[in-house]
Amino acid sequence: MNKKDLIRKWLDHNLNPAELEAFEQLEDYPSLMKLEQELNSFKADTINEDNAFEQVLKSINSIKKNPKNLYATLSKVAAILVVAVGIYFYTSTLDNTTNTVASQQKSIVLPDASQVELNAMTTITFNESNWDNNRDLNLTGEAFFKVAKGKKFDVKTDLGIVSVLGTQFNVKQRKDYFEVTCYEGKVIVTSKIKQIILLPGDTFLIIDGKYIATEKENLLRPSWLTKKSTFRSIPYREVIREFERQYNVSVEFEAINGAQNFTGSFKHNDIEIALKSITLPLQLKYSKTDHIIRLKRE
Amino acid sequence: MSKPLKDHICEEQLFSSIFRKYSKDLHDFLYYKFGSQLNPQDKMQEAFVKLWENCAKIPQDKAKSFLFTTANNLMLNAFAHQKVVLRHREIIPKHSTNINPEFLLQEKEYSAKLEKAIAGLTEAQRVAFLMNRVEGKRFKEIAQLLDISTKAVEKRIYGALKKLRKDIHEL
Repeated sequence: MNKKDLIRKWLDHNLNPAELEAFEQLEDYPSLMKLEQELNSFKADTINEDNAFEQVLKSINSIKKNPKNLYATLSKVAAILVVAVGIYFYTSTLDNTTNTVASQQKSIVLPDASQVELNAMTTITFNESNWDNNRDLNLTGEAFFKVAKGKKFDVKTDLGIVSVLGTQFNVKQRKDYFEVTCYEGKVIVTSKIKQIILLPGDTFLIIDGKYIATEKENLLRPSWLTKKSTFRSIPYREVIREFERQYNVSVEFEAINGAQNFTGSFKHNDIEIALKSITLPLQLKYSKTDHIIRLKRE
Repeated sequence: MSKPLKDHICEEQLFSSIFRKYSKDLHDFLYYKFGSQLNPQDKMQEAFVKLWENCAKIPQDKAKSFLFTTANNLMLNAFAHQKVVLRHREIIPKHSTNINPEFLLQEKEYSAKLEKAIAGLTEAQRVAFLMNRVEGKRFKEIAQLLDISTKAVEKRIYGALKKLRKDIHEL
C-alpha cells in the first residue's frame, strides 16, 4: 500500500493493525503526530447538554400555545384561576433568592431562559411572578449575565444600576467597589456619580467613590468562570478579599499598603500556587495555619 | 394520506432524543464554520426551538437537515462578513515547570503558524477537517451530517491536510 493510501486511511480512522505499523514507519509520521497533537487546542467548547436542553424547553414554554378546545380550556382556566389567585397573593410577596458561600460557584437559569453565573459569596434576589414584564433583580457580590432578548433588564446593587436589552456582562459589587464589564451588546450603568453606556470590551469601575479609567477587555467571558481571578491595576486589599472569598480563609496583613495597585491573577484550585502568585510579585512572605494566612514583608 | 404519528417530533421524548443525538454535532459544526464570536451554542438552541415550532410539519428523517439549515441561516443573518478566526486556546502547561525555553518558543511558533494555516483553508475544508481530526469523526459520519458524498468529504479533508502541511512548512 502506498503512502497516500495509508494517510487517507489514517484520516478516516480506519487503519488495521498491520497498516498502522506501516503508517508508523512513514517518514511523515512524526510531523503528522505533531500536527494532530496541536490541532487538539482548536477543539470546540464543550457544551452542557442538560443545561442547554433545559433552556430550549424554557424558550419553548414561553411561546404561546393556541388553545384547541375553547370550552375545555375555559373550564380549566376557571378552575386554575381560583387556585392561582390564592397562590398569587402568597407568592407575589415572596422573592426568589439564590446565594453562594465562599469557594462556591453556581449557575442558574431565570424564567425567560436568561443565564446567570454566580461567583463565590454572592446573593441574587428576584421576583418570579411578574418576570416577563418586570425583569429586575438585586445583586450583592459578583455575577456574569447572559440575558435573553426581551424587555428591559435591570441589575440593582448598592452602588448603581445596570440596565440592558439582551447581552452578556459581568457585575462585581463589593464594599466601596463597583465594576461592570460588557462582553456583548450594550449596557447602561447608572451610579451616583456617573451614567455611561458600555460597548463590548468596555469596563466601568468605581473604587471608593471615584471613577477609574480602564483598558479595553479582550476576553470573551470573565476569567473567574474558568476558575481564575484576574486583576489589572486593582488595589491590593481587593485582591486579598477576593482570595478570601475563593478559598474560604482569612488573610491578615500588617505594614502592607492595601491601596497599592496589583496586576496579575490567581487560580481557584491550588491554594499554594495561588498564594505564590499574589505574594511573590510584591516580595511578600506568607505563613499558613488552618484557615488563617499571614502576610509579611520579606 | 396522513403520515403515522410517530413520524412527527412533537412528542417530547422523541424531541429530547433528537436533541441528545444532534446538539453536540450541530454546535461543533457551527463552531468550526463560524468561530466562537457569534455564540454557536445560542444558535444551536434557537434552531431546536424552531424545530419544535414546526414539529408537526417535519418528519423525523428530515429533522437533521432542518436543524443544520436553520442554524446555518441564523448564523448567516448574524454574520457581518468578518473573517473567522479560530483562536488557539492557551494550553494548560503540564506540571513540570522547568521546560526548556527554546522548546517553549518553538511550540509557540508552531501554534502561530498552524493558526494562520487554518485561517487559510476554505470554509468547507476547515469544517470537515476539524470535525474529522478534533472530534474524531469518520468520513461517512461527516458526509451524513453535511448531506454530501463520502468522496467529497475525503477530498476536502485530504486537501486540507495537504494545504496545512505545505503552509506550515513554508511560513
